[in-house]
Amino acid sequence: MNPCRESALVETRRHFFSRTATGIGTVALASLVKPDLFAANSVDAARIGGISGVPHFAPKAKRVIYLFMSGAPSQLDMWDYKPKMNDWYDKELPDSVRNGQRITTMTSGQARFPIAPSTFKFNQHGSNGAWVSELLPHTAKMVDELAVIKTINTEAINHDPAITYIQTGSQLPGRPSTGAWMSYGLGTMNQNLPAFVVLHSTVGGSFGGQALYSRLWGAGFLSTRYQGVSLRSTGDPVLYLSNPDGMSEKMRRRMLDQLSLLNNDRYDAVGDPEIQSRIAQYEMAYRMQTSVPELTDISNESQATLDLYGDEVKKPGTFAANCLLARRLAERGVRFTQVFIRQWDQHGNLPKDIRRQCGIIDQPCYALIQDLKQRGLLDDTLVIWGGEFGRTIYCQGGLTKTNYGRDHHPRCYTKWMAGAGIKGGVVYGETDDFSYNVTENPVHIHDLNATILHQLGVNHERMTFRYQGRDFRLTDVHGKVVHDILA
Amino acid sequence: MALTPMTTRQTIFALAMTIYASSAAIADDQQIDFSRDILPLLSNNCFKCHGPDETNRANELRLDQRPSSLAKLESGHIAVVPGDSARSELFRRISSQDPDVKMPPVDSMKTLTEKQIGLIQKWIDSGADWSGHWAFRSPVRRKMPAPIDDWQANNAIDRFIHASLAQHNLLPEPRASKESLIRRVTLDLTGLPPTVQDIDDFLNDSSVQAYERVVDRLLKSTKYGEHMARFWLDAARYGDTHGLHLDNERSIWPYRDWVIRAFNRNQPFDEFTIEQLAGDLLPKPALEQRVATGFNRCNVTTSEGGSIDDEYYVRYAVDRVETTATVWLGLTAGCAACHDHKFDPLSQREFYQLFSYFFSLTERAMDGNALLPPPTVKVPTASQLAEKARLNTEMEAAKQVVTQILDKAEYKDPFSGSEFPAFKKLDKVWFDDALPEGANRNNTVWEFVTAPDHPVFSGKNSTTRTGEGITQHFFTGAKEPFVIGKGDTLFAYVYLDSKNPPEAVQLQFNDGSWEHRATWGADKCFGAGRDYEGNRRKGDLPEKGKWVRLEVAAAEVGLKPGGKLNGWAFTQFGGTVHWDKAGSVSSPQLSPEQQESLAVWEHYQRTVGGALPENIKKIVGVNADQRNETQSKELLRYYLEKVNPAYVAQLAEPKQKAADLKKRIDDLEKAIPATLVMEDRKQARQAHILERGEYTLAKEPVESSVPEWIAPAVDGAPKNRLGLAQWLVQPRHPLTSRVTVNRYWQQFFGIGLVRTSEDFGVQGEQPSHPELLDWLAVDFVESGWDIKRFLKQILMSSTYQQSSRVTQDKLAADPENRLLARGPRFRLDAEVIRDQALAVSGLLIKKIGGKSVKPYQPAGLWKPVGFGGSNTAVFVQDKGDKLYRRSMYTFWKRTVPPPSMATFDAPDRETCQVRRARTNTPLQALVLMNDVQFVEAARKFAERVMKEGGSSVQDQIGFAFRSVLTRRPNDFERQSLTSTLDEYLREFSMAPGTAAKLLSAGESPRDDQLNSNELAAWTMITHLLLNLSETVTKE
Repeated sequence: MNPCRESALVETRRHFFSRTATGIGTVALASLVKPDLFAANSVDAARIGGISGVPHFAPKAKRVIYLFMSGAPSQLDMWDYKPKMNDWYDKELPDSVRNGQRITTMTSGQARFPIAPSTFKFNQHGSNGAWVSELLPHTAKMVDELAVIKTINTEAINHDPAITYIQTGSQLPGRPSTGAWMSYGLGTMNQNLPAFVVLHSTVGGSFGGQALYSRLWGAGFLSTRYQGVSLRSTGDPVLYLSNPDGMSEKMRRRMLDQLSLLNNDRYDAVGDPEIQSRIAQYEMAYRMQTSVPELTDISNESQATLDLYGDEVKKPGTFAANCLLARRLAERGVRFTQVFIRQWDQHGNLPKDIRRQCGIIDQPCYALIQDLKQRGLLDDTLVIWGGEFGRTIYCQGGLTKTNYGRDHHPRCYTKWMAGAGIKGGVVYGETDDFSYNVTENPVHIHDLNATILHQLGVNHERMTFRYQGRDFRLTDVHGKVVHDILA
Repeated sequence: MALTPMTTRQTIFALAMTIYASSAAIADDQQIDFSRDILPLLSNNCFKCHGPDETNRANELRLDQRPSSLAKLESGHIAVVPGDSARSELFRRISSQDPDVKMPPVDSMKTLTEKQIGLIQKWIDSGADWSGHWAFRSPVRRKMPAPIDDWQANNAIDRFIHASLAQHNLLPEPRASKESLIRRVTLDLTGLPPTVQDIDDFLNDSSVQAYERVVDRLLKSTKYGEHMARFWLDAARYGDTHGLHLDNERSIWPYRDWVIRAFNRNQPFDEFTIEQLAGDLLPKPALEQRVATGFNRCNVTTSEGGSIDDEYYVRYAVDRVETTATVWLGLTAGCAACHDHKFDPLSQREFYQLFSYFFSLTERAMDGNALLPPPTVKVPTASQLAEKARLNTEMEAAKQVVTQILDKAEYKDPFSGSEFPAFKKLDKVWFDDALPEGANRNNTVWEFVTAPDHPVFSGKNSTTRTGEGITQHFFTGAKEPFVIGKGDTLFAYVYLDSKNPPEAVQLQFNDGSWEHRATWGADKCFGAGRDYEGNRRKGDLPEKGKWVRLEVAAAEVGLKPGGKLNGWAFTQFGGTVHWDKAGSVSSPQLSPEQQESLAVWEHYQRTVGGALPENIKKIVGVNADQRNETQSKELLRYYLEKVNPAYVAQLAEPKQKAADLKKRIDDLEKAIPATLVMEDRKQARQAHILERGEYTLAKEPVESSVPEWIAPAVDGAPKNRLGLAQWLVQPRHPLTSRVTVNRYWQQFFGIGLVRTSEDFGVQGEQPSHPELLDWLAVDFVESGWDIKRFLKQILMSSTYQQSSRVTQDKLAADPENRLLARGPRFRLDAEVIRDQALAVSGLLIKKIGGKSVKPYQPAGLWKPVGFGGSNTAVFVQDKGDKLYRRSMYTFWKRTVPPPSMATFDAPDRETCQVRRARTNTPLQALVLMNDVQFVEAARKFAERVMKEGGSSVQDQIGFAFRSVLTRRPNDFERQSLTSTLDEYLREFSMAPGTAAKLLSAGESPRDDQLNSNELAAWTMITHLLLNLSETVTKE
């Protein structure tokens, strides 16, 4: 065990034992859920774990909600307006633009690379006149609160390496995910819930689309305690949360009290402090049995709030329901919530499929920002939207005026950020007429990750973990904070 | 107790720190050891710019080498002047307060403490001894320290450990109780708890050898091999899926079973190494030795659409170098994939020389999402081999009947006329200048071109394509289907560009499926390697620069008479190809009477021609009077067997029998498991240094070779993986033996003598007991790399057998127990926790090996993340015995590892791991509280307690305690459990139906003879026991 982890553990123990001299079982019984933890402004005082010296400076964000669009949404049809392309319909992508760049073997055999202009109308919105496509009517209403970055770029050209890259800073498995780094460095603000929560969204009632991997919320070489915990929409929200059939709440409590007694007895005999730690973990497990169902029960949400997110919010597991859950997690001090929604990998039939996807995400994204704002949470909650790469201006498969597909495009794509010290009403970076190359202000995914950490008060170069003799960090040996989008 | 007089009375704390902490805590009166005290400081703070990495070196100064450090630099300074820190530029820079002078520079985020600066000064002043990094020098067996009076020293381990305890003013603990000891050693050697019988046998054996007998018995148990294999499989990154993208199932469990057998037969570690790294390269390798090479086929692979082969060939080889280096060298070679290693002397060139060993496999970059991406071998069981031999004999007998009938045949041709009937065949064109009506081009481009700029065979135009790799144009959905007649041959005309010919051309026919293909040229297209209906190999590429008619009999590609084509594809691999006119040739059929005559049939074949094998076609082409005897016989035989109605009828039964047997043999073949193995290409693929590790940035070519600064290459060793393996296990190798014994030490004591068991490099931690580590390493090699002997040495030491009780003093002095003033104590691994519960419940199935199984896991874990097309997107739980196999047989889906085990720190097995985390979390509590596997185990354990535990509650509680904890309960435990049992009994009695619910956990049947309320109450007690901290801890 490394010294940092060890100190976190000691801190945890201290926290538990400061509350009583006679053991914690009874105290835990009395305070199943500590209500004061739920007030958003008190969460930092309740921080547990993390490494000393972090944050390195005053943070703007206390928590992050990352809306991850897995499969890679087309920047060309949503954000990166390219009116000139209408004159280029079905014309060849100039070699000077492609410039010998490698492309996937799904289209590298194509005889032609015909330009497919977006079929969607774009309009200007907000005080800065940001161009947004008709696919996002709700999001368009809040562009003044977003920093839209059009020049995110990566090197990976296929899903598995690309999503692993943006989530862990490396294309190969083995490194900790962004959320794991955060929970390692910053600890948790709510002892009754995991510091890092992952939510998976259904599309049309089922899952499907490009694969996800537990490494995307894994802890890599950090301790497994930092890995993300999936909050599921069916079955137990947290794995193994419910008592077995036939074991009443009362029996469970009796069993835990007895367990605590016997473990304490053993502690007296053998003196191993791990036993005390295990007693504390059982009490926390017991508290989770109460706090998690309370978390997922939305019956107390006002009608106005539910209306904000739309009809789908009442169906557990939908993107809308997950956005509401993300807000509830933010309120409870969860450090990092990552909402995944798949099925953005539109190689063919893009116009139809992207309309469906935008229909699913547009209103909940808007609702989440408004809801956070109304509750004063947006000031210290960082919200990020986007996928693992972008899509090509040239068509994959058959091209007509109304139908086309787009292949993977790593060289530029769009993400947005909001809240927690992010400058609103900003459109950052510029791409060429083909949305193929960055012409101004590139933001590499390492830069993005550096910026996320910066908002949390973390110098991305200084939060490291030594493994195999090397000091690893989320941004590898790269990353520059994008100060231009910060307020 | 006698302490050596040299020991000064320093505070226990400071003493404890020095043993394993970095130089910062070194005591003033201790000798400076360059490798322990100075090198880590230089490495951590200076090597980034003044170390082995050539490209990032700030100037000519290299602090990782003595000559450079002592040389006059261009600036005129000398970094280190031995004996004179005042004249040493190194000291001036690190002690300066001037930000322009100060080293390390402010922006490097690195700082040296006062104390560290003092150490460097002291080192320079005392002569700047430069012994190099300890781990890169061969270990030497030093004399073991003298025993200490009254301290029980059983072997060398104790002598070294005791000497250091004495030095730190600590006393060892007395021997653990016999109960505690048998639990510890049984869990450590088999991963399972001792049975009550095992405990009694040991307690009743009062001889001096009692413990040793237990150790010997356990080392002979087959469970030993399973348990040892489990640790190795973490290092080997063994999994049951490919790990990337689709994460489909992969069959490599025969390798896992090989590892179990290797440990059980105590294969020496050097052989174990050679067979896994290079078993295929041994002279005449046995099947087992090839299976062993699965080690380096365990890496994750992909077949994601759009991936580029060259990128993945590089990634796979890099993974194999990193894994091999971590496991055998304890070095982090991966750093050198992109640049010279910043801390260790491994250069980028040396990395790619290692990489070259693994860069020439016959594997494909894309695994095809297949269960068995080649190269693979079949691994039949003995009974499968016997069955196959038996079926083969029977099949040969049936074939013999056919042969005999034909041998004895006396055929007389009934045809005697001179006029043969006239036969005429017809070309039926399906499409020429335009595609059939309704044809859907599926977004593929049909480029039609005309003469004279382009070759055209018929009509106005031809269709053409130029491409790289597999490219094609095709259509489906023709409105009028193209009907196949009996004996039809399909044709198309092709013209290969002479300047840019393809490597292969292929025709594909769609009758609802595309599994009808004919290929000419290299085997590059669909069907890879097989010659069957879905990829009929028709020979070489047709002649270039002219129109050639391609023909294939419909029957050859599995199209039956009456079949209806709706689509057609022109496929090529690279090059420029023109295609024209396609259709079929239909032939008239012979009547049964005509078939009775060989002469008529021959005439038919000559004038119309059917699908004949090449040799028969040739004979038919020779005039009857010009054939030799062999030819005539061959033709007659063919005719009788295939055409003549009377013989065809007579042969039907034996032929059917042979065919049935063939099918059974084929089915058996399919049932024989196979496994992934290593195999080199005949022609090695050239490796290059890759700038920044990028596959597109190949620099100078490099050849396979070992880094000789670690150890010299073995004389006469081949320049392949076998040579690499031999180099690793040469007796004087400084790393392999140390790294290996350290990993075993870690397994038994929780932390290695070198804590960073994956890193023995300059950045790794110093050994807590360097001389002991070296002694053990040398001893291990000299014993012939005997693993069981080595482990027994640990187990027989009094150090291992100490009580693991933790006192406040010792906890303060040595919180992590690195000095071993007490016995090992730590949480059991995920697999052991589950296996223990299965064992005490009586549910455990003891079968060894076989295909992995899918025990309980919560519903809906795979679906939310799995790719729709993946064959592991939906979890289907197994039934019966498969729910209760040892955890090492649980199906390891690498992108979603088994959840309850992952919660207890089991790795995802995507990358090599030689050290597991050991956390203590609420999620673990939830697993033990609520996972059906553990609740069911409690229920079955309760049945055992009621049936086998004796007649009184007291006895039953005693039995339950001993089954899981080995020891008997104390009075407090006994009383409190007795009263709790009563309370639960009352609760279940007052709530009818709840007991039945609790007793329905899991799928194993419940013993109806037992009273359900009592059984439920006991289940709560056993459930409680399975949740005890002591239960999940090796004490």
